[in-house]
Amino acid sequence: MSELISIKNDEHIIISNKINNFYDPEKIYIPITCLEKNVKLNEYIYKNTYFNNYISSISGKIIGVEKKLFDKKISECIVVENDYKENIKNKNKSEKIKDKKDLINLLNNYKLVDIKNKIESFENISNLVISSIDEEFYSVKEYITLVNDYREILEITDLLIKIFNVSGALLVTKNTDFNSIKKVKSIIGTYPNIKVTLAPDKYLIGHKSFLCKYLNVQDTNTLLLSTSDIIKIFNILNGKDINSKILTISGNAIKKSLIISTKIGVSLNEILKKYIKIQESDYEIYINGFMQGYKISKDTDLIINDKIDYIVINKVQNKEILECINCGACNKICPQDINVKNCYTNKLNHKKCIGCGLCNYICPVNINLKEIVKSDKN
Amino acid sequence: MKKDLNYLIKENLYLLIPFIFYAIYKNGYLIYKKNLIGIFGVFKPLFLVLISLFIKIIVDLIKYKKIKFDYNFIYVLLVSLIMPYNINYLIYVIVFFIIYFLLTYIPNLKVNKVCLIYLILVLINSLIENFSYMNPLELNYSYNFSFLDYLFGRNIGGISSTSIFLSLASFIYLINNYYYKKDVPFFINATYLILSFVYFLFTNNNSFLLNSELIFASVFIASLPYFSPYKRIHQIIYSVLIGIISFAISILFNKIISIYLAILIVSIFNLFVNRHKITK
Repeated sequence: MSELISIKNDEHIIISNKINNFYDPEKIYIPITCLEKNVKLNEYIYKNTYFNNYISSISGKIIGVEKKLFDKKISECIVVENDYKENIKNKNKSEKIKDKKDLINLLNNYKLVDIKNKIESFENISNLVISSIDEEFYSVKEYITLVNDYREILEITDLLIKIFNVSGALLVTKNTDFNSIKKVKSIIGTYPNIKVTLAPDKYLIGHKSFLCKYLNVQDTNTLLLSTSDIIKIFNILNGKDINSKILTISGNAIKKSLIISTKIGVSLNEILKKYIKIQESDYEIYINGFMQGYKISKDTDLIINDKIDYIVINKVQNKEILECINCGACNKICPQDINVKNCYTNKLNHKKCIGCGLCNYICPVNINLKEIVKSDKN
Repeated sequence: MKKDLNYLIKENLYLLIPFIFYAIYKNGYLIYKKNLIGIFGVFKPLFLVLISLFIKIIVDLIKYKKIKFDYNFIYVLLVSLIMPYNINYLIYVIVFFIIYFLLTYIPNLKVNKVCLIYLILVLINSLIENFSYMNPLELNYSYNFSFLDYLFGRNIGGISSTSIFLSLASFIYLINNYYYKKDVPFFINATYLILSFVYFLFTNNNSFLLNSELIFASVFIASLPYFSPYKRIHQIIYSVLIGIISFAISILFNKIISIYLAILIVSIFNLFVNRHKITK
């Protein structure tokens, strides 16, 4: 496994700690593929209604159908117009859990499948690690969550220690995240079973296998939860809504980066119109980061769902793609030790690829290696 | 850490400039001082460089109708730096132009172009004129150089490639370059040094221990990205082979030419070593 590297930050991108709340969108969009039963025009949708694993974050009437980008595909979506009443059919109530089984059932009820799968995949949990490190650089979702909700995170972590019957938990944060370190340290004494560990500010340190390697724990018996996962658990235990998410929008085509807490199902265009002033006429949008994410056309309207954490709006870089010079830097930098050059030459993808984008980053002739190496299955 | 191709080419070009200045001093000024050459002769190393660059530009204009800023700039510059002092200008211009032009028709040739052009030029030059690497000063005077003299390049070799000090300084600089195949010069020199030391123990002949051409060629030519393997293990095999073959040629044939011949032979072999295996 190659050594992780630090990537020099773009000096034009400054991320603030301030969160903007966007809880009153005009419309939200629900993909038709998520609907379990037929719905009609003008039908009333209550807030917190589940459509498969998708949640309606507002209440209002269905006013039509539009085509939007959802999960990398253009999908037909029903448009729900916000009546700003936040009507809920069944109000969430506080829940009590005693053991792992209760927690899994609760997560299942609230359709938090990702967290449920993470917990269910272990029969015996030996180590519990809570990470506030974002995998993509410039993304601050996990860090901001820890800064703002550190009391709740520590409280739930302490509860999880008891539920999973582990001796303690590690709360990992980057050694450059001074705000979160300061806040957590102020009350950590109340939780003797939780230890704070600082990790170096290196790209991919937030990825499970690399973090476990750094912490010197086996990833086969280590449950890694992010701070945002913990907050979701906190919200369902306390009867709070789980229909909003934190989104970072940055890039060198916009003047000021934005951290926004927004409702799920909102269109990206609505957020951009309201909050972002794009300085460049020619720009490109990357979803979930410049390194690991994917590019969309600036005319495409995207629906913000639970899987979208970070949006980059960058100036168009007219990089000429040249012939491979056989330097081998892609092989050398690959954290998974994949023979990237071989994959490129033979147009092969590799099941070990985690799509970190380091090969694309390092390539001196700008070849899009990730596109070739990353398997669709990953 | 991240560098683009233009940066890498420029970095290499800048690193080679001190070698030209040193060559003008050693193979120009010092000979001129002894009245062995005229004032134009002082700048022979520079003229060779300019001719090479001019040939590259002309071929680009003929072939592509524009000047391409690519690695060929480094290749032609390197050829001009390793030429023997006695290279005939006319042979140099004509033969270099023809070979370089023909090579543009084989763009995917993985054989080290620098060594190929160099060896053809040296061969043709030695067929027409006398084969000698000595400049007029070295031909007319005999010196007893110290180790430091050798280190700074007062030995017989290519026109601009004799300074071990400059080669080592460039290598130390290049080690920090993520794209540089630093294992290649390291293993070539290590292999060669071990073999020459063993040879010295058996024969008491220490003339093979310091080889400025080997150091220069291993730092700049053997490690050229396009002609060397990209996997570390292949780089080590490639380098050790070059070290062994160049030592063998040094003993059997010629010390100066040995490294270029070895690189050429191994880069031909590399065509098979560096083949891409289709494995997942």
